[in-house]
Amino acid sequence: MPASTASEQPAGAARQLRFSGVQVDHRDGDGRPFRVLDVPEFTVAPGALIGLRGPSGSGKTSLLHLAAGLFSPDAGSVGWGDVAISTLPGAARDRWRRETVGFVFQDFHLVPELDVLANVTLPASFSGWRRTAGQVARATALARRMGLADLRRRAAVLSRGEQQRVAIARALFNAPALILADEPTASLDPAHAAEVGALLVEIAAESGATLLCASHDQALLARMQHVVAIGDGPLHLKEAA
Amino acid sequence: MNPLPMVIADLRALRWTAAAIVALVALAVAIGVAIGAQERGLRQASARAADDFDLLIGAPGSQTQLVMSAIYLQPEALPLIDGRLINELSRDPRVAAVAPLAFGDIARGHPVIGTTLAFAGRWGRLQPSEGRLFTREGEAVLGADVTYRLGDKIEPSHAIAGHWPKRGVADAEEASHRHEGHAYVAVGRLPRLGSPFDRAILVPVESVWEVHGLGNGHAGEDAALGPPFDGQRIPGVPALVVKPRAVADAYALRARYRQGGTMAFFPAEVLVGLYRTLGDVGQVLSVASVLNAVLILAAIFLLLVAVTGLRRRRYAVLRALGAPRAYVLLVVWLGMAGLVAAGCLAGLGLGAAATLAVSGLFEAQTGLRLSFALGRPELAQVGLILLLGSLAALIPAALSYRQSITAGLRG
Repeated sequence: MPASTASEQPAGAARQLRFSGVQVDHRDGDGRPFRVLDVPEFTVAPGALIGLRGPSGSGKTSLLHLAAGLFSPDAGSVGWGDVAISTLPGAARDRWRRETVGFVFQDFHLVPELDVLANVTLPASFSGWRRTAGQVARATALARRMGLADLRRRAAVLSRGEQQRVAIARALFNAPALILADEPTASLDPAHAAEVGALLVEIAAESGATLLCASHDQALLARMQHVVAIGDGPLHLKEAA
Repeated sequence: MNPLPMVIADLRALRWTAAAIVALVALAVAIGVAIGAQERGLRQASARAADDFDLLIGAPGSQTQLVMSAIYLQPEALPLIDGRLINELSRDPRVAAVAPLAFGDIARGHPVIGTTLAFAGRWGRLQPSEGRLFTREGEAVLGADVTYRLGDKIEPSHAIAGHWPKRGVADAEEASHRHEGHAYVAVGRLPRLGSPFDRAILVPVESVWEVHGLGNGHAGEDAALGPPFDGQRIPGVPALVVKPRAVADAYALRARYRQGGTMAFFPAEVLVGLYRTLGDVGQVLSVASVLNAVLILAAIFLLLVAVTGLRRRRYAVLRALGAPRAYVLLVVWLGMAGLVAAGCLAGLGLGAAATLAVSGLFEAQTGLRLSFALGRPELAQVGLILLLGSLAALIPAALSYRQSITAGLRG
């Protein structure tokens, strides 16, 4: 188990993320099974910044979901250090995810009815009753770091670039050791995409967290230490172009 | 964990729908509450109005009609019984008190009731709130709601059965039947009884007889009011109220005066029959109101299931951010149960308001004051609706609990 952490303390240090013999099967419209993902062996070093590249449907999102423990593979295992994520029972897995993972989505998925501060501190409500002054301070600092000044604005009125900044601040709120980003810049115009991509990579590097980022965005992939291609043979790390 | 921020966000997203749901539940609850409370209120008020009428004696005919006329003062032309019965009964050792009720006149729409001093004070139970009770012929005591003032001259008219005059106004019909040359003077006012007698003008029965040219029932012009009546001729009255000394006496008297040209009965007997009918109607209405509530809850339930389906993605995102299953379950459940609970509370208030409004109308019509209180049956009914609503809300909550996160994220 990772060190149990209160949300305002830094999470446990990043560990090695390891996929072994992972297979994920789906069924197509006619009920015939087909393999979505086949990863014989794939290891990510602690604190590495990894880009995932591959055509649509190649399994990038499934790989991120596996890493977050959102579902279990049909075969093989996913491990975080000595934690076998893929076999953790439900409640323990929820807890591990809450304490370890920060997730950034392509479509932000903020709660439009809540203001910026409430969106950023939302993960605190999963475990605590009241948000502490320390949590508010941390959320405020994160929002400032992301270039958000007014914390009282409702998410519904923010621009898309601002929304993704809020989403990144939310993902970082629990000081995750593993940041997973699924096409974080795909819904943004090029100028916003560059800013947000840069912030994401910067902050991940600062915090020492492992970053796994699926993207088509060449500029974003170029900021990573390594880029992995999915969909053409076994996964292997390549130096970013 | 604290799901409230998300619950509030969900409710805000629903906004007008949420308000409509609360309003619908409130209406359903209010109808049930109002029906129940109204029925009980009517029962209690009508029973209270009959409190001082232990045994009624009148000419053979409809008991219900005599009750309606003597206790609830609905004008009807009734046959009279021999006035000598008053003397006979006041000598009877089984009788604690007896009083005639002579109705048939009105003044400004208020019924004028001839009776005795003792009954005007409800056998000593009432003290006038203003002035005094009548002590001689031509004096009148006013019910709490009578529009005359003390010292006013009251000119009685002959009431026409079936003519329902507006109170406080002497209309043309009333003016055309005035007993010319006769008038009462208001000398006192009674405290509020919550019964139709609040609108009545009580006068000595001797005066009513005089007004109709029947003499005063006594041998002399200036005899003391009330029984015994020693006149050559004692005029008849439509009803006698008898207060028996004991329960056994009551039954004996009832048996005795069921023969020989009179009928005698306990008003409670008539009321029990009426209540049975009222209760049946009330039961039909409350079954209808429960069905109505169930239909509304079912419609709301389907609506909320649909809403929850539309929010699959939102809840999957929460789970991907680390929310435990129980958190999502609580968010869905609290939101729905909260709406139903708010509706139930609002419904209690609305039901109370509706009951008061209907009671006001009813009192204006009949003079019966219905006291309103939320009774255990109403609270139980609301509790049942709340329970059913909360249980029903568990179903969509459980559905989102079982929802696969990856499927939800795909939308």
